[in-house]
Amino acid sequence: MAKVAVITGASRGLGEVLAQFLAGQGYALVLTARHAEALEKVAHSLASYNIPVKTVVGDVADAAHRRAVVDAAQSLGDLSVLVNNASDLGVSPLLPLAEYPLETLERVFKINVVAPLALAQTALPALKANGGLVVNLSSDAAKGGYPGWGGYGLTKAALDLVSLTLANELRDAGVSVVSVDPGDMRTVMHQDAFPGEDITDRPLPDVTVPFWAWLFGQDRATVSGGRYAAQAESWEAANATV
Amino acid sequence: MRRSELIFERPLDLQATQPAEVRGVSRDQARLMVSSERGHAHTRFTELAHFLRPGDLVVVNDSATLPASLPAHHSDLGVFVVSMATDFGNGTWLLEPRWSTSQPGPLPITAGMAITIGDLPTRLIAQYPGLPRLWFAQVDGDVRAAMNRVGSPIRYGYMQESQALSTYQTVFAAVPGSAEMPSAAYPFTQRVVDSLRDNGVGIAAITLHTGVSSLEVETDVVEEHPLYPEPYHVTVKAARMVNTAKREGRRVIAIGTTVVRALETAWNGHEIEPSRGFTRVYIHPQRGVNVVDGLITGLHDPVTSHLAMLYTIAGQSTIREAYQEAVREGYLWHEFGDSHLILPADRRELPDIKWIEQTA
Repeated sequence: MAKVAVITGASRGLGEVLAQFLAGQGYALVLTARHAEALEKVAHSLASYNIPVKTVVGDVADAAHRRAVVDAAQSLGDLSVLVNNASDLGVSPLLPLAEYPLETLERVFKINVVAPLALAQTALPALKANGGLVVNLSSDAAKGGYPGWGGYGLTKAALDLVSLTLANELRDAGVSVVSVDPGDMRTVMHQDAFPGEDITDRPLPDVTVPFWAWLFGQDRATVSGGRYAAQAESWEAANATV
Repeated sequence: MRRSELIFERPLDLQATQPAEVRGVSRDQARLMVSSERGHAHTRFTELAHFLRPGDLVVVNDSATLPASLPAHHSDLGVFVVSMATDFGNGTWLLEPRWSTSQPGPLPITAGMAITIGDLPTRLIAQYPGLPRLWFAQVDGDVRAAMNRVGSPIRYGYMQESQALSTYQTVFAAVPGSAEMPSAAYPFTQRVVDSLRDNGVGIAAITLHTGVSSLEVETDVVEEHPLYPEPYHVTVKAARMVNTAKREGRRVIAIGTTVVRALETAWNGHEIEPSRGFTRVYIHPQRGVNVVDGLITGLHDPVTSHLAMLYTIAGQSTIREAYQEAVREGYLWHEFGDSHLILPADRRELPDIKWIEQTA
């Protein structure tokens, strides 16, 4: 049976880079995003890798969609990697917490925290069976306390705790969980955070490729529970033996 | 720092095209330039111990060299070679496809392409961001076994002929994993090691597996030049030895730029922490160094990131002056060439020994 990776938010930016990387490593892929056209385009761009790719269009906040994603993965093979990359920036331009619209905050929390956890829950039987790895995409906004980034940042701080707690809870079941801060990148989301500003000094999301090579090259149990910065100058596994 | 600050003239003939073994001399007969606050002295590597002090801690890289150049094949491209730079684990390698030993790429290859390395099926994953001659690839099978069957040490065009793998091992080599010899230690022989120990110089070892040589810095701002990550390991024992030396005010002298990078990676702001991982730490004057007091290294080519590290340790003017000396004195560049001991804060008179041709 093929090993399968699920990537959310796979229609552009970092999700697209991850899809190419994992396709290159030989994973069969289930890609999901809300926009069908962009998602299909990414799926077609992977033809040269000669691996099975399924697309499932929908919103990760929707339980039926999440079920469909996991079912699609299991129809392809052994679900072994779940990348929770889909994420909602919240209001654009950014607003300080004192003025933050609370209904937006609830939506962002649902997409950035509840949905990744829910997808991990749905995928858990397969992840347990296959020594799976869950990768949750975080942000330095989770720690920085940057003015304007509170709404988004607090959801990523919560997601970091989801990652760490899940890693501790699932260690004995053989499931590994990591948090990854990809760093600033020239993506649509970053542009939305700075509408109208020039962000061309930020690197393209393929700047993270060396990190993915490192992360997916490690013994999963040794990285589990770690929070990693993809653009850092060095990477050390959280549980490495020295 | 501007790229232009790394430019100097190095006559093309000043390069070692054969190892000491082939020239019929001992490795420790390499010339050694010693640069300190008192100027630059010229001697042989055999005399190294005279320039170190009892209590100095020398830190070496114990990585051994792999036969990392492998034949490769693609249905349209025919036969070429790949340099296996770095093992990222689980079959993922960073590698450099080349037309041949003497002819670098780029080759007309694309992501997703299937090639064969040795006899191992391989899928090209993606180019290294900012370094398009390097590719990540997924290799199906035992790469070390393929290296042992059909691999040879990576060799560049300036080397006259291929050499046995043993030629590419330093006296400290213990842990196989480098694509290219950590060559700063090439001139070390057992008798040089013994002379250091006899003089009360300590020796500690870290491991950093080198990838393939970096090319010239192409960005105008030197700090923007991308370095790619390499696996390193600083053991509990090595960390303890370095920390004790630092605490007691003894000097820490790195043998090779790889050792500087490993130690600076393991430095947590207060001390060396035992650690293992991948590092692409880039030592340039803006960043500074915290651990090393001196460095033994070969001579580095113009416009390479290594020069930025040397500037960091000793200052740009000292290094520029030293390199003018090296050119004037006919020092030889490259992995089998001559050696350079850099002790920036050493104010002692250089030893008054007759074989020293003191020039500054």
